[in-house]
Amino acid sequence: MTEYRGWIHQRQKELMQRWYARLDESARTGWPPAICLMISGNCVELLEAFGIVPIYPEVNALQLAIRHQSLGPILAAEELGYATDNCAYVKADIGAYLMGLTPSGGRLPRPALVLCNFVGCNTYIKWFEHVAAFLDAPLYVLDVPFLRGEEPSPADIAYVVAQLKELVHRIEALTGLRFDLDRFRDAVRCSQRVEDLWSRIKHLARREPSPFDAYFDAITLMGPLYVYRATPEGVEFFERALAELEAKAARGEGVYECERFRVVVEGPPPYPYFRAFRDMFARWRATAVASTYSTVGGIWEFGFRHDPDRPFETVALHMLAHNLTNRNYLQRYDQIRRYVEDWRADGVIIHFVKSCRLFSAGQGDMREYLTRALGVPTLYIESDLEDPRYFAEAQIRNRVDAFFEALERHKRAGQRRIAV
Amino acid sequence: MRCAAGVDVGSTQTKAVILAEERPSASPRIVARAVVDTGANVARAAECAFQAACREAGLDPHEIGMIVGTGYGRYRIAFGHAQVTEISCHARGAHFIFPETRTVIDIGGQDAKVIRVGPEGDVRDFVMNDKCAAGTGRFLANAAEVLGLSLEEIGPLSLRATDPVKLTTVCTVFVESDILSYLAQGRRPEDILRGVHLAIARRTISLARRIPIEPAVTFTGGVARNIGMVRALEEILGLPIHVSPESHFMGALGAALFALERMEHRSAGDPALRGRG
Repeated sequence: MTEYRGWIHQRQKELMQRWYARLDESARTGWPPAICLMISGNCVELLEAFGIVPIYPEVNALQLAIRHQSLGPILAAEELGYATDNCAYVKADIGAYLMGLTPSGGRLPRPALVLCNFVGCNTYIKWFEHVAAFLDAPLYVLDVPFLRGEEPSPADIAYVVAQLKELVHRIEALTGLRFDLDRFRDAVRCSQRVEDLWSRIKHLARREPSPFDAYFDAITLMGPLYVYRATPEGVEFFERALAELEAKAARGEGVYECERFRVVVEGPPPYPYFRAFRDMFARWRATAVASTYSTVGGIWEFGFRHDPDRPFETVALHMLAHNLTNRNYLQRYDQIRRYVEDWRADGVIIHFVKSCRLFSAGQGDMREYLTRALGVPTLYIESDLEDPRYFAEAQIRNRVDAFFEALERHKRAGQRRIAV
Repeated sequence: MRCAAGVDVGSTQTKAVILAEERPSASPRIVARAVVDTGANVARAAECAFQAACREAGLDPHEIGMIVGTGYGRYRIAFGHAQVTEISCHARGAHFIFPETRTVIDIGGQDAKVIRVGPEGDVRDFVMNDKCAAGTGRFLANAAEVLGLSLEEIGPLSLRATDPVKLTTVCTVFVESDILSYLAQGRRPEDILRGVHLAIARRTISLARRIPIEPAVTFTGGVARNIGMVRALEEILGLPIHVSPESHFMGALGAALFALERMEHRSAGDPALRGRG
């Protein structure tokens, strides 16, 4: 396995450590203020305009899982009464709070505000209500309507913009900071640049071989994308990451010495078994050339960008229409179809997350659509993104191996699609 | 003559099959088969099954040109040359015995899977039970135990049912209390057993319907030896089902066929086989 381990990984680690150090500083000194928010299509640009540091409970939860520390907090939350089939992110986060556990070992500050920026999942609303109650912090719930058509209506955009402006006043009142429109435009300009760079990285995966894995390597890049998107550090990181991956592509280097399969992955990874899961693909030299999970924060590879000339409006547009979870299922089908066709994939892997109904409900139908309507070989596997108890390694490996065995025979027979 | 072996290390039993090919284009024939309980030592079970098959064939293990392992314990077979999943192997084995096979239903000790097969025996699609032994061989074994019967008895006995019970569960653990409550109501064991078989058949067929069921359907795996299960599946499916006396060995047979194919590719210098196996 020739897994990429270069500057990107090193710098990502440093940036994430620096973020946790800022949170620790905030906890110790009360400065800078911190606000809790969610990844999915968020308005971190607004926080940057105030110099407020974001706290991402989802990132904390996944960091615990990838370090094999999620089961303890999950059990602690279950002891408190959270059901076994509750979202495991919620349980790990709440349990970690109860146990005083943080991924970095440092402290997490009491947020000036708990900002629920995604209402598509009612569990998430409850999660943030609980966080606000446990931390005795104020809660603000942004009501972002689901995308019902191809584009959000002007009324939807105006509705979200009005809430963002109300949020600005709320933050001013809570922190005593003054909102600076120029600083907001600067943050939006940074996001625009990062989105452009990130999108170009994603398009590099259209090369054969792909110089990076758009699922496993993309997850490494997603930390800086979410925490530093609206900052000059984010711009610097993605500029260099793109240069490094472009150089790799120019040398004709793929993720593996000889790329054998190209797949699209739908669903988050099983973080407690991240390496074991990656190894299942590596054994077959299968590169993920695209993934839907890497678009939870935002879908930028099809052209959408924040715009400093229309900062409020484009932040609202991003929240309404240009992130995976606020869109409907048929749009997700189409996103996967485009990946399969434009990124020239051999098949699709769907990872069903037991404790996340929002992301996973309907994936059975999705599999049917892909295999029956498009003739795309599709593998469906089940475990969890956070709870290690749902991962049966032998069974998952068996399915993955069988899938690639079948794909191999297809490729040898010169077929790209299965006969339906 | 070229010989190849397939060893299928299943959760309950380990099976081995040796195939011989008189000349390159001739159809291979099964020259030996062996089965042992898997037990706790997977590597040893594989070795025992392979050695027993060699003895039956009257062959020295060195005369076997290629050995392919399959089943959950496939990576523990130290003497094997390559590993292939039992999904590919059952498809291949079923196609070898019944070339018209387009759907394979395989029910083993802890697994139930349905495989859509192409005209060449290639896997087109598959679905499996999730991480739970509901509706598998283990479920039947538990039901037999509660009724004080052997696994061999329950299939034929179930066919004598006149008024099958409706089981409320296919959970391997809860089936016990379900059966006890029917016994307490004075229901006959044959009616209870028919209910047990129909419950598994319904679950398996609903799994199968996730991929289009295309005839001919071949039933493989250890549970295919149970006539009650064959009839229950046929009733729910509304189609006749192929069952071979080799059904229990289908995974090992498929593995042996892959072993022969690899011998051929190896002698032809197929680059696709480099770097694996």
